[in-house]
Amino acid sequence: MNRHLCVWLFRHPSLNGYLQCHIQLHSHQFRQIHLDTRLQVFRQNRNCILHLLSKNWSRRYCHQDTKMLWKHKALQKYMENLSKEYQTLEQCLQHIPVNEENRRSLNRRHAELAPLAAIYQEIQETEQAIEELESMCKSLNKQDEKQLQELALEERQTIDQKINMLYNELFQSLVPKEKYDKNDVILEVTAGRTTGGDICQQFTREIFDMYQNYSCYKHWQFELLNYTPADYGGLHHAAARISGDGVYKHLKYEGGIHRVQRIPEVGLSSRMQRIHTGTMSVIVLPQPDEVDVKLDPKDLRIDTFRAKGAGGQHVNKTDSAVRLVHIPTVECQQERSQIKNKEIAFRVLRARLYQQIIEKDKRQQQSARKLQVGTRAQSERIRTYNFTQDRVSDHRIAYEVRDIKEFLCGGKGLDQLIQRLLQSADEEAIAELLDEHLKSAK
Amino acid sequence: MELWGRMLWALLSGPGRRGSTRGWAFSSWQPQPPLAGLSSAIELVSHWTGVFEKRGIPEARESSEYIVAHVLGAKTFQSLRPALWTQPLTSQQLQCIRELSSRRLQRMPVQYILGEWDFQGLSLRMVPPVFIPRPETEELVEWVLEEVAQRSHAVGSPGSPLILEVGCGSGAISLSLLSQLPQERLRGSSWMREDRAAPSPLWFTDSNAYHIYLARLWPRRKGCWSRVIAVDKREAAISLTHENAQRLRLQDRIWIIHLDMTSERSWTHLPWGPMDLIVSNPPYVFHQDMEQLAPEIRSYEDPAALDGGEEGMDIITHILALAPRLLKDSGSIFLEVDPRHPELVSSWLQSRPDLYLNLVAVRRDFCGRPRFLHIRRSGP
Repeated sequence: MNRHLCVWLFRHPSLNGYLQCHIQLHSHQFRQIHLDTRLQVFRQNRNCILHLLSKNWSRRYCHQDTKMLWKHKALQKYMENLSKEYQTLEQCLQHIPVNEENRRSLNRRHAELAPLAAIYQEIQETEQAIEELESMCKSLNKQDEKQLQELALEERQTIDQKINMLYNELFQSLVPKEKYDKNDVILEVTAGRTTGGDICQQFTREIFDMYQNYSCYKHWQFELLNYTPADYGGLHHAAARISGDGVYKHLKYEGGIHRVQRIPEVGLSSRMQRIHTGTMSVIVLPQPDEVDVKLDPKDLRIDTFRAKGAGGQHVNKTDSAVRLVHIPTVECQQERSQIKNKEIAFRVLRARLYQQIIEKDKRQQQSARKLQVGTRAQSERIRTYNFTQDRVSDHRIAYEVRDIKEFLCGGKGLDQLIQRLLQSADEEAIAELLDEHLKSAK
Repeated sequence: MELWGRMLWALLSGPGRRGSTRGWAFSSWQPQPPLAGLSSAIELVSHWTGVFEKRGIPEARESSEYIVAHVLGAKTFQSLRPALWTQPLTSQQLQCIRELSSRRLQRMPVQYILGEWDFQGLSLRMVPPVFIPRPETEELVEWVLEEVAQRSHAVGSPGSPLILEVGCGSGAISLSLLSQLPQERLRGSSWMREDRAAPSPLWFTDSNAYHIYLARLWPRRKGCWSRVIAVDKREAAISLTHENAQRLRLQDRIWIIHLDMTSERSWTHLPWGPMDLIVSNPPYVFHQDMEQLAPEIRSYEDPAALDGGEEGMDIITHILALAPRLLKDSGSIFLEVDPRHPELVSSWLQSRPDLYLNLVAVRRDFCGRPRFLHIRRSGP
């Protein structure tokens, strides 16, 4: 029997820093767990506990199984509420008369909830099937009929797989989608500064090569935009455009400061045989599609719902909705102030006509830069590449990889790390979702 | 109350007719006290819309939406979180909605029921009988802001003009101007002396007290100068403007004075210097039209804020007649008027060449009716 330990560390917002430690010991007959992953869980748990001791840590929980997540009451309650909401919405749409705009919003919400409700339904049915199977198993054990037992076990296995798949699906659909995930990116690398020596420049070149290989590995297009080499084979800075499927989704966590520790073999620094530390920064900017649509105010007609008579002081109406007639038509009734509604409607219209205005693009890129490149100080590192100890550690998820040479080839090693990053980001997103739900339920 | 019973009855025997029971409303809920938890926001809006329509209340749907949204803590129904549309309401919330809706059944304007309304993005308190700002007036503020921006651009320095508002009501025009005008620290003011010790009351109930006060002085303050002087003859309007100014933290930049500008006495001493701008939404309804106003307006809003005399021109002509004493040379007056007034005002101004006022521009509101006048002073 394999056991694995799962520590749930859960800081409840209403308890002001008080920590709830929830330990579950789970034994599962049909699951194979690698020794390595178990060790990782322990290591993660240690780090998790350490982190939780500092007050400002928001929830972080570690798990290897979405099933563990499912068993968490908060998630179950959240799903229950969503499915209730879905049912009442359905009834409302059928039975209660609503006017057009409300109907549209209700329909939208209904469509949002439909897949979640469907998965929830399936999960409940499958859980029921499991229960039935279990009871049957128990009765079988008494009778000691080998063949039936084996069949039952097989059946149990397939149902288990199915339910795990469902949990994963649910998990995936709950995670809020990021706006730019599907976009292409512009990847920029810049060498950091050290006192003498060119360890940073060498390192920058290696990292840039790593990303180039990674794009090959993922079958993306890598288009060089800028390449500024340094002396002795290093790289000052370079930029490339990477396009393909879900590029931004994978590369977004690569942005930040990467630190290197090594005894340099080549370049200026190799003269002195001691450990050098250097940094380089990576910036990943999403590239939205550029659709150019011109908005001519003369083609617009602004409709407001105001009286047909003298208007002004003669009339007191609360209908302050504004409609801009253009293709597409925009209506706005978000605010009580008519002029505000007009402003909002204009804004919505522009947003619909332009995918990204050029200035907005540039501005966003600028601000993305600010977020990603801090002071380039060593304290902002996201990852450390330690050549002397032959390991790469990512500080955000406390994950370590051996065989740095293989990692720098930009193949499977990097891919695994990125997958782990995405997974932990998803977990945090769901935790945040549940947190908000709990807060609002009060 | 009868209304409550009717509501219950309507809920229980209404749309659920086709099925045997209103099963879905009760399924999977835990046992609740009978009335609370029955209705969600959507159902309530639908119900009260029906009630209002039956009693001939205009804007039935909008009114019920605003009331329900207000009780749920949002400004509009559309801006409510979608999850709240289907959640059951507590009994206090239902009670609150019932109370507010019963006021609507008395034809009270929604703005007074909610006690607040938005103007140019500011949230203002509304209290009967102080006049409720109309959406057209938002355009008046826009026009004034454009003019100020143009003028300071021409002069070459960011200016904060001295503005007088006649008939401030809830303070809508003054406060929205202040919130959007740049703040300017006045250097070497010619019309105020310094006195750091003097206190600074912000509004006066009586123009005599005002004169006495001005004999002492307005202390120079760091940062913002009051650049708007708001005047109204109703004390209720003065205190409401004061309240709104405090809510918006603009009380340091506005002088609110209880003053009846139609009485001759008030203007004989001008303790403050000439204005750059006079803005007003004066009462401009023709007297014979007053009877045809909706019950919401007639029964709840101050008729003095609406009635402009036989041709709706009384207050307008008063303001224009005072212009030479109040306005700087090439100062401007911005007025909101009835669509019939531009011509009337034009001919009246021609009959009074001694005022040296010209009708410079007429602007239309968003319904295409001539609504706003720009009159400029030019001359000695």
